[in-house]
Amino acid sequence: MIPVILRRLRDLVIIMFVVGTALFFLIRSIPGDPAKVLLGIKATPEQLAALRADLGLDGPLWQQYLEWISRAVRGDFGVSIKYREPVTELIFGHLAPTITLAVFATVISFGLTVLLVTWSTVKPTSRLSRFVNRLVQFGLALPEFWTALVLILVFSMTLRWFPPSGYTPLFQDPATALTQLAIPVVVLVIGQTAFFTITLEESVLGELTQLYLRTARVKGLSEWRIATRHVMPNSLLPILTTVGMNFASLIGGIVVIESIFVIPGLGTLLLGAVYARDFPLIQGGVLFVAFLFVFVNLLVDLTYSLADPKVRVA
Amino acid sequence: MTAPVQVPRQTTAISLVAKRPGFFAKNRALVLSASALILIILLVVVLPFLLPDPNTTDAGSRLLPPSFEHLMGTDKYGRDYLSRMMTAGRVSIGMTLLITLLAAVLGTLLGLVAGYFPRVGGVVMRILDAWMAFPAIVLAIVFAVIIGPGVLSELLAVTVIFTPFTARVIRSRTMSLAARPYVRAARVAGMSSWKTLLVHVLPNTLPLAMVQCVLLASGAMLIDGSLSFLGLGVSPPTPTWGNLVAESRVYLSMRPSLLIFPGLAIAIFVFLVNIAGGSLRAFVDPRMRFLQERARLRRAGRLAG
Repeated sequence: MIPVILRRLRDLVIIMFVVGTALFFLIRSIPGDPAKVLLGIKATPEQLAALRADLGLDGPLWQQYLEWISRAVRGDFGVSIKYREPVTELIFGHLAPTITLAVFATVISFGLTVLLVTWSTVKPTSRLSRFVNRLVQFGLALPEFWTALVLILVFSMTLRWFPPSGYTPLFQDPATALTQLAIPVVVLVIGQTAFFTITLEESVLGELTQLYLRTARVKGLSEWRIATRHVMPNSLLPILTTVGMNFASLIGGIVVIESIFVIPGLGTLLLGAVYARDFPLIQGGVLFVAFLFVFVNLLVDLTYSLADPKVRVA
Repeated sequence: MTAPVQVPRQTTAISLVAKRPGFFAKNRALVLSASALILIILLVVVLPFLLPDPNTTDAGSRLLPPSFEHLMGTDKYGRDYLSRMMTAGRVSIGMTLLITLLAAVLGTLLGLVAGYFPRVGGVVMRILDAWMAFPAIVLAIVFAVIIGPGVLSELLAVTVIFTPFTARVIRSRTMSLAARPYVRAARVAGMSSWKTLLVHVLPNTLPLAMVQCVLLASGAMLIDGSLSFLGLGVSPPTPTWGNLVAESRVYLSMRPSLLIFPGLAIAIFVFLVNIAGGSLRAFVDPRMRFLQERARLRRAGRLAG
């Protein structure tokens, strides 16, 4: 168990290092002097020099790089140009909405998927199973930004059940927060559930060819018991990794959703930074998203090794 | 025309083929989805020549509902929406194909090298893992900052994200092919490793690469949509299905058809590509064919358990 954790932590460090280095040189490769761009043509040489020092842009490139690394390791990503606040504080200030969306979307769609797939394992010929099987292909094909707008059109503008935008912290005013989160979460759940269902169905189909199921039937277990005790646990293990890898596309969806519903999360922060050409914020924010992705996958792998005896022993 | 009866071997071949159920009957989903896709591409390519110019504005006919004259209505500048939709289709489908092709070619090359030279492979796969740590939209944000939002930044970002997926699949295929006796025999006979890779390994990975291409295309279309919706991809006045959706937001309650058409176009395209890709997968992956057949039988109630 401990070697597994150590190995994964080492991978995390390597990936963060590669991503950080790539980002550093990509951003530095932008032609032109960011300080001049930021201050305009009226800037005095002293102001330019001060801003360059502020942004870590003085000295040769390798020195800047070392400086940046040593600051980044201590969690200091500089000061945002747009907001004039430390990047780290900005990121943590915008983290809650994004995490709320991600957790709600993942938990609801994973739960829904397990229910639907268990049902279709036990009763493959039932109307619901066939319906879900058709529906999944549609769910996969719907673009999130469009589903969101269609749901706004129907449920906010026509039926007036939910507000079309806005965000309230969950613990501040749960009732308002939940009505505001309803449409964004549903949009994310549609895509995620479709994807999880198709992956889990495939895993279950593979599991159903196993011979031990015949033994289970012969000794008189009901189809329900076979599905919940034998098929599901074995099929769920391999798709745990898929859930982790899917985090990247979930974040992509959340960026879009945040921009449509005006939710002040990481996506809105990063998109705003693009238009302001806020390099420190982009660098810190993107690195943080990469960190989240690797961290989530680390957690998934640890759960995996806890759940799977074969991996646990190894 | 010589009668095929005169060549006995060919006749047996024909009669054997004739006994089996036809290609259409066996692959109805594939044939239907592929023909629908071809129809869409033909429409998108040919129709703009016959329709009014998509950029001609007409202040007198702004935001008209669908009518016989304007089949999909008009937009905020009075431009014919059907023309805009078709031109947008050219751009969106074009971008999708370009991204897919780039990612598939790059991914196949990387996968071949990583699979055939194990020592390089380890390093390459590590780097690919780091690549995959970026959500495509976030990487597009990075490139949009560096080279300015547009076609190039979108193309770079999405290709970089999609390449590892192909590379992984091709790599594992290459690794199993490299261990085959005929590949080793070629090496023993004195063929250089690069030539072996080109002549004996590459052709055998091509079917798999083609299927990967189709599977990637649906993802590419969705990401292209999101990026141009967010203003990180192709931007107006060049229409894409994504930025048509973005433009329709202002007139959401007044003229919902402006929202419905482009989104539906993306959804239908992705749906068809997914169906076609799923059926194609059965050709290169025997296990998949077996499982798909079992799933069909189970749902029909003809397979116990």
